[in-house]
Parts: sequence; structure tokens; C-alpha cells
Amino acid sequence: MAAKSEKKILGMERETFRQFMGKYGISVIMVIMIIAIAIYRPVFLSGTNIVNIITQISINGMLAFGMCLAITTGGIDLTVGAQLAVVGVIMGQMITNNGMPIAVGILIGVAVSTLFGFINGFLIARFNMFPFVVTLSMQLIIRGAAQVISGGKAITFGAGVKNLYYGKLFGVIPYPIVALFVVFVIMYIMFHWTKLGRYILAVGGNANAAVASGVSEFRIKVICYTISGFLAGIAAVIMAAKTGSGQSNLGVGYETDAVAASVIGGTSFAGGIATMPGVLMGIFIVGFIYNGINLIGINANWQSIIRGAIIIGTVMLDMAINGRNRK
Amino acid sequence: MKKVLAVLLAAMMVLSLAACGGKKSEETTKAAEKTTAAKEETTKAAEEKTTAAKDETTKAAEGGAIADVNNDGKIIVGYISKNLTDPFHGPINEYAKTTFDGLVADGTIDEWTGILDGNTDAPTQINCAQDCIAKKCDFVIILPAEAEASDPAVVQMSEAGINVVVVNSKTTSTDDLALAYCGSDDVYAGTLLGQWVLDNCPEGGKYIHCNGILGNSAQIQRTEGMHKVLDPHEEFEMVADEDTQWKGDLAANAATNAIAKYGDELVAVICDNDDMSSAAQSACNAAGRSDIICVGVDGNQTPLEMIKAGELGATVLQDGVGQMTAAVKVITDMVAGTAPASKEVMVDFVLVTKDNVDEYLK
Repeated sequence: MAAKSEKKILGMERETFRQFMGKYGISVIMVIMIIAIAIYRPVFLSGTNIVNIITQISINGMLAFGMCLAITTGGIDLTVGAQLAVVGVIMGQMITNNGMPIAVGILIGVAVSTLFGFINGFLIARFNMFPFVVTLSMQLIIRGAAQVISGGKAITFGAGVKNLYYGKLFGVIPYPIVALFVVFVIMYIMFHWTKLGRYILAVGGNANAAVASGVSEFRIKVICYTISGFLAGIAAVIMAAKTGSGQSNLGVGYETDAVAASVIGGTSFAGGIATMPGVLMGIFIVGFIYNGINLIGINANWQSIIRGAIIIGTVMLDMAINGRNRK
Repeated sequence: MKKVLAVLLAAMMVLSLAACGGKKSEETTKAAEKTTAAKEETTKAAEEKTTAAKDETTKAAEGGAIADVNNDGKIIVGYISKNLTDPFHGPINEYAKTTFDGLVADGTIDEWTGILDGNTDAPTQINCAQDCIAKKCDFVIILPAEAEASDPAVVQMSEAGINVVVVNSKTTSTDDLALAYCGSDDVYAGTLLGQWVLDNCPEGGKYIHCNGILGNSAQIQRTEGMHKVLDPHEEFEMVADEDTQWKGDLAANAATNAIAKYGDELVAVICDNDDMSSAAQSACNAAGRSDIICVGVDGNQTPLEMIKAGELGATVLQDGVGQMTAAVKVITDMVAGTAPASKEVMVDFVLVTKDNVDEYLK
């Protein structure tokens, strides 16, 4: 597409153009993937499989939206995997072991993950520490907390909790899909239609300029990491419902897929560039990779390499289509 | 230029996907020829059976076994691995691959999913289970990552009418829902661990225990067996119960820490698997304490070689390939029309020492 026109377009227009291309480029890749997989396995496009994929990506989806905010401010949130574990075991202790109502257990669990998110943001913004270091250490603390709370044992959930994953709204749409949709809409409005969204992009793009124009870097960063913690909490509820079990060893390495989805979706590690529709498509592409590999039946030992290669290929292809360099 | 690059990259991605699927499609065309022939026969048979089958699929075990549970004229087998990286699971996965490729080639089954990577992660295994359902599998073999958290995979598949064969360790509802369980009695393995230490260290002393991932049924039962043997003997004292998560490096650390803390009083390191016991033994030997008895379960290649070289006393061999062989037999029997005689197929553990190591070392 008209990549050459990049230099001619100025100011806001160029930014709008870039954002449009960002969305457009990644959707081309997504369509190519869908066609490629569907050719080998027509079952890929069956109703059940599509519903399966969207339900499966809901956990990574929540994490990726939060991760995208952290990356946009120039940081990263490595605690999300551990958050899945801690919220799960808290819910287990509250609901299964102490007989509290499900809603209360969820509320307390999500409140705790939100608090951890706040602590991440506070440490990063207040003391100007590296986000990688802070969240890496917090990851250990949070998983440790999960181990302390659960005593290393698995806590079983009853049908009430499991229904949150396997149940369907109006008997048609699985709840995780509803949750993913709602979160996407809210994130979209927050990020693209409100001042807060502009401020996040501003702080990530050029913190000094943002501060000079009266934006509080501290507040914005704290808000971003707190939202990430909150969304990880929601993801953890879905995870608990999915596995029917709260245990401290769940969610190991889940930050990798969240980062992958954000980056595929056009989030720049340099900060200041991201779109929510892009991230959503990144989430889908990561889901397609897993599902496609399983359906096609690719040789087991090669799966990991192929996953990595597709992620790199996707980002490169996106860069080429967009005609700009992402860092 | 950039346009060209974009097109090239796109073409490459499509090609790479094509290359990966390429071999399969050749096979499938061959298979397809077979299936068309098979289909004609089966459709006839299916028509007769359908009415009966619909009501009785769940009761398949009673009357004539019905292998093609979804009546699509094809037998498709799914295989959800625990992971692709543990030395214990490597040979099992390899055996499954050659066996199922063979069964597809000789027409016993029409298709199999290939090895799906469970990544030692319950939610991933649940995703794989859903993929198997979407792929219309009739049988699925699963090696659960977790007793509790992987259970929804078994539940969903059996609700979808799939014959689930659970291998290696049980999930919570395996006894109720699975077609069969092929595994080994881990409590017995634990008693073998305890007995080995008892036999080789009659005067007793302090020992440490290195756990597998807590909550895993193998970890729980092996620990139970070990305590059953050693707890009545007051001369033995367990001084540490380490959360070593099946990992050799963590067990090695635990061993060196215990040597530093208890010195000569430490007589044994008992581990839930032998990745850990071999690593612990290496650490002890390096610290000049080859007298410490390290023992674990599995019979992986490294520990077996260490036994051969006289560096490790013993290991308790779990016949993973034997378990998989049993699971495959359950499926081929069903395809041939015989329901499994028993829901549990137990494969024995063997104590391997330098006397019999050559039988098991490949």
C-alpha cells in the first residue's frame, strides 16, 4: 500500500495514517494465516473450533491488554503469570475452604491482584526503577505468596466456579468470550477516546514532553500497572474456572504469550505506540498459532521453533507492510 | 521495494506452513484412498449400527465395543503429551509417534493428531482436549500434567463421547469417566525407594526427601510409599522435605545444602524421580560424599548410565513405554471390537541395580 506517502503526511494526519496502517497490516497477516490453516484443515473454520479458539485466547487476551499498557509506557509487566496463581489460590481459600460466596472470593482475589499491580506501578514510577527488575522480583514475591497461601496444595473448585468458563450467556456465548469483548470495548474507549489514553501514549512516547505539558508521569504509570494487575485478576478468575483448581504452579511462563500478542499487535517496545484493535488481532494470531499447530499436526519437536519463527515473521511482515521501523 | 519485500515475506510464510503440512497431505491422500474403500464398508455397517450406537455409545464397554464413537466412518486418535522436554517423556512420545504412524500406515486407524504439546500446563492440555474434540477424535490418549487442574480435559472429552485413555498418572475423575487407565502403582515405587535405603544403610541416620511438583499424584503416592517403609524405623529421621519440583538442579542444591548442614549424619537423599536422584548423587560424589545413597524413580538414560559406571546405587524403573504399549493395545482392541477387560492396566516398577542394568540400558 501507499507506504511512500509516509514522508508527505504531517503531524496528526501522519499519526492517524500510521494507526490505520497498523491495524490494516496486521489484519492482512491474520487473513493469510486463516486461509493457510483452513486449506490444510477445513475443520479450522468450523463453528465449534472458532468458539474454542476465542474461548481459549480469553486468558491471554486479558493479560495482553494489560501488558500492552505496560509496554506502551516503556516498561513491561512480568508478574502476570504469577498473578494467575495467586488469585486462583486466594479464590480457593475463600470459596472452597471457607465457604464464602463465589462473588466475594472473586472480588477479594481481583482486589489483591490489582493491589500487586499498584505496587508494581508505585515502585517503578516513584523510585524510577527499571520495570523489568521490579516486575521480575515481584513475580517471585507473588508466586511465593501463592505458595504460602496454598501450602503448595491444589484447591478444588465446585461447579459454580467452573460454570464461569464452561457456562454460556443466554446459552449461546461462553462467558469468557463475553468478558473478552467487554474488556476490549472498555479498553478501546479508554485508550482511543479519552484523555487518559492520550496521556499514556504521551508518557510512553516522550515522558519529558508529557511532563512539561502537565501530565503526571507518576499517575499514568501507576494507573497502567494497576490496570494490568486488575486484568490479570480477571484472567485468573477465567483460569480458575477453566482448570477447576487453584494452585501455585499454574500460569508459569504466561507472560511470554502476552508479550508476543502485544508485539504482534503493533505495540512498540520503545513506548508510545499501540492500538487496542492491533493487540486484539495479536491475541487472535497467537491463538491461531497454537490451534493451527495442533490441527495441522506439526512434528512435536519443531512446534516451539515454528511458534517463534511465526512471531518474528509476523512482526517483520507487519513492519514491511507498514513501511516503518518498530523498535 | 517494501511492497516486494512484503509479498515475498507473505509468500514465505504461506510456503513454510505448506511445507509443514506437505508431508501430511501426501499421507492423507494415501489414507484417503484407503478410507474411501473403508467408508463404503463402514457406511453399510454404520447404517445398521447407528440406531443402536447412538443410545449405547456410552455403554460401549458392555456389548460389542464401538470404536467409531462419532460415526463419521473414520477412527481418529488424539495424543496429548505431558510435555516434550522431560527425559522420561521423550521415549514415550517417540514410541507413540512410531506406533501411531504405523497404525495409520497399516490402516488400523485412519488418522492421528500427532503429538500435541501439553507443555506441563493444565490449561494448555485443556486447549488440546478441545482441539481434539474439534478434530472429531474417537480416542484420545492423555498424560495429565496435574491431577486436579488437568481433569477438565478428561471430563470434556468424555462428555463429547470420546474414549479417553489416561496414561501415567490419574486425574480426579479418571476412575469414573475414562475408558481405561494405564499406569503404575506409585505407592509401590515409593516402598521400593524406602526398602533400598533400609537395605543399604541398616544402621539408619538422617535423610532428606526431594519432592516432585507438589499435588501431582506420583509425588503424593511415592512419598506415601516411602514413609510407609521408613517411618516405622526410628533410626531414620527425615530432616528436610524439599520442594524440588522434579528438577535435578534443585535436588542437587538441596543435597549440597544438607551436606553442609548435617555433615556425616546425612546418609540418604530420596527423590521422587531419578533426574533428581542422579543430580543429587553427582553433587554428593563431587563433594566427596559418594557414601550418601541417592535413589529415585523413572529409569531415565542418565541414571542408568551412572549405575552402569558405578556412580549411582540404584533406581526404580518406571516402564513408561510399557504404559503406552498398554494404552495402544486398549485402542487397537477396541477397534477390533473388544472392549478392555479391565479399566486399569498396571505396569510394574522394577528396581534396577548394577546387576540388571544392562537389560534396560539402550
